[in-house]
Amino acid sequence: MQFEWIMIPYSLLTLFIVVNYGMLLTALMQKIGARVGRRHGIPIWQNYFDLIKNFGIRSSITHGTMFYLGPVFRLTGGIGLLLFVPTIYASEMFSNLSFAGDLILALYFVFFGTLGMALGAAESGHPHATIGISRGLSQVTTAELPFALAVFAVALQYQTLSITDIVAAQQGGITNWTAFTNPFAVAAAMLSFLGSMMRPPFDVVLAPQEIPIGPPTEYHSSYMALMQTNRAIMPIAKIVLYMNLFFGGAASWPVFCLKVFLIYLFSVFVGVVFPRFQVEQSVRWFLIWAVPLGILAILVV
Amino acid sequence: MVSPIFIIAASLGGAFLLGLLRDPWRRASYTISLLVLAFTTALAGAWVWGLASGAVQAVDILTAGTQPPFAVNLRLGIAEAAMVLLINLTGLLSALYLRDTLFIQGRRAMAVLLIFSMALSGIVMTRDLFNLFVFFELAVISTGGLILLSRDPRALAAGFKYLVASQVVSILMLVGIIFAYHATGSLNLDDMAAASEQLLKGGALAFFLIFIAVVAELKLFPANGWALDIYESAHPAFSALVSAAAGSAALVAVDKLLTIGGPAWMEVASIIGIVSFVGANLFALAQNVDRRLLGYSSVAQIGLIVFVAGQQDILGDSYLFVAGGVLLAHAVGKAGLFWLSGLIGGRELTAWSALQGNPLLIFAFASFLALLIGLPPFPGFYAKWELVHLIAAEGRLLLLSLLLFGALVEAGYLFRWFGYTIKRDRHPEPVAPSLYKHGVIGIAVLAGWSLAYLWGELSPHANLLHAAPMLFALMFLAIEWAPARLKNAVAIAGLLAWFATTYSAYDPLQLIFALIVLAGGAVILLASFQTPGRRLGFYPSAMLMFAGLAMLILAEDSFTFFAAWESLTIGSYFLILRGRQSEPHALSYLVFSLGGAFLILTGFALAAQGNSQFALAGLGELVQPLAPWVFLLLAIGFMTKTAAIGLHIWLPGAHAEAETDVSPMVSGILLKAGLFGLFMLLIHMGRQEFYGLDLTHAMMWIGALSALLGNLMAVFQEDAKRLLAYSSIGQMGYALFGLAMMNHLGWLMALMFVINHYIYKSMLFLSVGGVAKRTGTRAMYQMGGLITLMPLSFIAVLIGIIAMSGVPPLSGFGGRWILYNAIMTSEYRLPMILVFLSGPIAFLYLFRLIHSIFLGQLKDEHRLIKEAPFWLVLPQMIYVVCLLGFALVPGLALRHVDAYISNFLPQGALNWEGLTITSDFGYWSPVSIMLIVGVIFSLVFALLLLVNRKAQKVKQFNIVFSAERPYRPETTHYAWNFYASYRKALGFLEWPLFERFWGAIVDLLHTAADLSRRFYTGNGQVYAIHLLAFVVVVYLLKGGV
Repeated sequence: MQFEWIMIPYSLLTLFIVVNYGMLLTALMQKIGARVGRRHGIPIWQNYFDLIKNFGIRSSITHGTMFYLGPVFRLTGGIGLLLFVPTIYASEMFSNLSFAGDLILALYFVFFGTLGMALGAAESGHPHATIGISRGLSQVTTAELPFALAVFAVALQYQTLSITDIVAAQQGGITNWTAFTNPFAVAAAMLSFLGSMMRPPFDVVLAPQEIPIGPPTEYHSSYMALMQTNRAIMPIAKIVLYMNLFFGGAASWPVFCLKVFLIYLFSVFVGVVFPRFQVEQSVRWFLIWAVPLGILAILVV
Repeated sequence: MVSPIFIIAASLGGAFLLGLLRDPWRRASYTISLLVLAFTTALAGAWVWGLASGAVQAVDILTAGTQPPFAVNLRLGIAEAAMVLLINLTGLLSALYLRDTLFIQGRRAMAVLLIFSMALSGIVMTRDLFNLFVFFELAVISTGGLILLSRDPRALAAGFKYLVASQVVSILMLVGIIFAYHATGSLNLDDMAAASEQLLKGGALAFFLIFIAVVAELKLFPANGWALDIYESAHPAFSALVSAAAGSAALVAVDKLLTIGGPAWMEVASIIGIVSFVGANLFALAQNVDRRLLGYSSVAQIGLIVFVAGQQDILGDSYLFVAGGVLLAHAVGKAGLFWLSGLIGGRELTAWSALQGNPLLIFAFASFLALLIGLPPFPGFYAKWELVHLIAAEGRLLLLSLLLFGALVEAGYLFRWFGYTIKRDRHPEPVAPSLYKHGVIGIAVLAGWSLAYLWGELSPHANLLHAAPMLFALMFLAIEWAPARLKNAVAIAGLLAWFATTYSAYDPLQLIFALIVLAGGAVILLASFQTPGRRLGFYPSAMLMFAGLAMLILAEDSFTFFAAWESLTIGSYFLILRGRQSEPHALSYLVFSLGGAFLILTGFALAAQGNSQFALAGLGELVQPLAPWVFLLLAIGFMTKTAAIGLHIWLPGAHAEAETDVSPMVSGILLKAGLFGLFMLLIHMGRQEFYGLDLTHAMMWIGALSALLGNLMAVFQEDAKRLLAYSSIGQMGYALFGLAMMNHLGWLMALMFVINHYIYKSMLFLSVGGVAKRTGTRAMYQMGGLITLMPLSFIAVLIGIIAMSGVPPLSGFGGRWILYNAIMTSEYRLPMILVFLSGPIAFLYLFRLIHSIFLGQLKDEHRLIKEAPFWLVLPQMIYVVCLLGFALVPGLALRHVDAYISNFLPQGALNWEGLTITSDFGYWSPVSIMLIVGVIFSLVFALLLLVNRKAQKVKQFNIVFSAERPYRPETTHYAWNFYASYRKALGFLEWPLFERFWGAIVDLLHTAADLSRRFYTGNGQVYAIHLLAFVVVVYLLKGGV
């Protein structure tokens, strides 16, 4: 596949849809979480209000160049990840910019935003930001491992690293999904998924309920707005990857929305049930429970 | 030509003449002594020259006008002539050295000296057994006299013990001679050799007694307590004579006896020799008195030569070459060291630090050590090569391993001593200024290097002193006086010129390595422009390392390869040793590297099956059961250099403690030598089965474990350079893993790591080095917030860590992409788990590196520091450009290699058409990725600028801090023990298993040495009992043979 100019407006369209869906979906998930806790929860439009408010705030400070660029890296990471992966199967229009690289590109591009954000937050000089990063990076080392093993198992199973080909191989019925043909890989990947969604029991990195801790500690106003946009995109971009690899992809937007919702819901479901882990606990948890599944997956495939 | 009998006559005449002079005529007496020794030396020299050039033939000198056995005859062939020259030259130089002492002691001492050298010459030349005994007695008596030259009160006791031991020896010998005469009816050695069967059958005990007497005369381990006391307490010039001249003479005597004894006794000699070599070297480990250490080393070296003499059945034509090489190297090196010790005031090893500030003496010291250890280009190196090959071909593997073990221990304690000399605080007592003594040492150095040249010429291989890179490196010794910057320019020009001249000789794989070593070396050397002054010792060492690397890449046969390998090891050792705190680390580097080198040597020797010349391509023709052994030895040897886990403990200290511009050289470049070796090995030998185990599979696990543990240990470092050093272990682990996958893309990935690791690790070491230079610390938690003060260094580190972590769009991603494609076709899946686990761990230490240094809180004491010096920043910026270029067009470097690898592993090559690189499984378009990321980034950035263009830069402590305002950067900068929670979870993997393991081995050796040396009580009676026990034990063992 080669680059064509028409891809740009198509990609922008994907982006537009995903941003809006993401805004609504994250608010919805918040709401579901709140309802489980017998609270009312935020209005479904809350994310839009916040975004407008944050863009509108006039007072703003900076701690330096990297601090300024941190959210830019973050959002670039989110948008890039989304666009490097085809969103809708067999659609020229929503294949986005996946001609640039295959599954491995998506896998590693996840870190682009994380790293840039971490650098920006670290320049603020706020120890809480750095503590959050330290926790996040520690957790990601083992949280990503089952996913990496699962990806390896899936690539071995379909003998390709092209996402489009992997989705193509799962067409023709629900039993063709990787979830059924390679359940160990999917089980491992879904446990890993919990670790990357910033929800309990793996949300000590952001620790949203305590005094502000985590990378965004010093960010505010338009920086916050960029990060918020990313918070809408990033989960969906990740889920698209999971959907494509394990759940047969999506051939249309309604299917897309449904699958993304359900996969997202899985992390919320676990999150409202289980309490939070400390970092060393989650590191061990992934090694003990998720990694063996991943190993099993690459051995039996 | 003047008859060699005059060597004896002149000495004897001179000694008599001295007796006629009046005692106060010291000057005249001394002049006569010198003249006599000069004459005998010149005469011996003339014979050596004549015999070597073929102008004269070996002669038999008949005394008393009749044929042997009715009169004593002397013989002078090339070997004898060389020995006589060695003895008389050592005598002459020692006489010069002893000038002041001899002036005090007077003509009697001088006469004894003349008799001593005469007696030794006689031992060498005589062909009569009784005459041999007489000369031995003369040597013993004069030794007793010369020991008293020392001012050390212990010398008297030592001399007495020596006489006691010598009498025991003499009695044994005399009894033996009587019975031997009875058995053969002749005292002539040739007659006895002819009657050898008869003698050995009927007079076995007689021969044994003579043999054991001569062996005891060599002061071999363990019956040598008295000899060690002499070495320790006698005048150093005399110790030089005992070690170099008397030792050589007694060795010739042993050799003569072995012509009678034949193979059975050669075996005995071999065993005694190797036990002596290993035992004395081991004991030397525990010594901290210089002359006693040299004494042990002498015992060991002489043991080695006895061992060589015992192996003459398999050495054949090479016997003289090998024995001569080891013997002469020992004689020159040991005499030189004893002479040097005379200049040093203190007797403990650390007192040699007085040599600091005397570059010429340090050069002499290093040369003597290299002579003793047998490093290239000295004769011992060539000799050891032949010896090891022949022993290996014969399958005497136990002897071979003992030999190499002893050599390793020897190198260990000698270089430990060198480390003390260079790095310890300078000893208050300065070096003695005597011109004579310095002159004598200078001549010894000259002799050592001349022998190096001579042995190079005599050897069947190319003379290492003719190799252009080696000469270029040695040239820096001659221009040491020049300013460092000039030398640096010459060095850079030399590297580039060598690259230009050899460019056409490289295949694509070699080209990559040559580019990294030569062009890459030149870029790193730019940083060396930073150092002012003369920077003594840096350029010869660095260029020796580069010479070794340059020769390694082009080596086609095993000898050149190994010589290059040792050269780069030694060069880099000297280079690493320059770091302020690097003494123990440089030693550990050297010991591991030499240990690895000896494994490589053994591997080549086994592969060559007795041919000392062996083309590397011949590795491919080896078959079971030899091939896997060769593979194993070579692979472990190379993995020592890449610091594979288990063999890695030398790396962190060596790389971290090295100087700012040395760290990138030894990390970015030197580590690649091991990978080059592994490439060479795998290209030629492919997969090997070792008792059912696929060795490449084992290598995969080792690579994966190295990647994991290297990365993990990097996470917990507080020292920035140590962090980078541990990360190198991890990175080399990836490369090893790639190679061991034995598929096309695995190799390509390894090569990608070779290139990437060179660029980013050199860059990071330079940046961190620059920061450490400015802040005066390497502890990261003591830094922080340097981004605004050192922006260029920050950019370099930023680009470096993005590239290293493998995040797109920089070049590290290419490596990861190739890795994933490679593992798709790998046969083994389980090692991947470790590799996958180690990937994200890299983020941990990389983030820590950049955050703790450049981000976070700036410390008060750093508020005024400036950007790193220009010459440190310049290469970093070049690397930034290279990384970006390599990220955009990796094909530039890789597509040719890709095609080249297809020659060996045709399956799975990449398709490089257009902008997209495609494999059998996926695709990757570096330019598109870069463009897309760039465009998205710019747009988002523009948006932020639009809405947030008025953002104000606030002060350091203007942060939301629990309603407080922090005021101390030290307590606000979150940096120390950065991954505390990670340590809680996985810190157990940090447990220093391998450090403990190697530490335990070293402790064991030291403790064993320390316990066993108490065996030498200093009591003369005990020594006499040792001697007798030795005789009995050898007799019993021989009886059992």
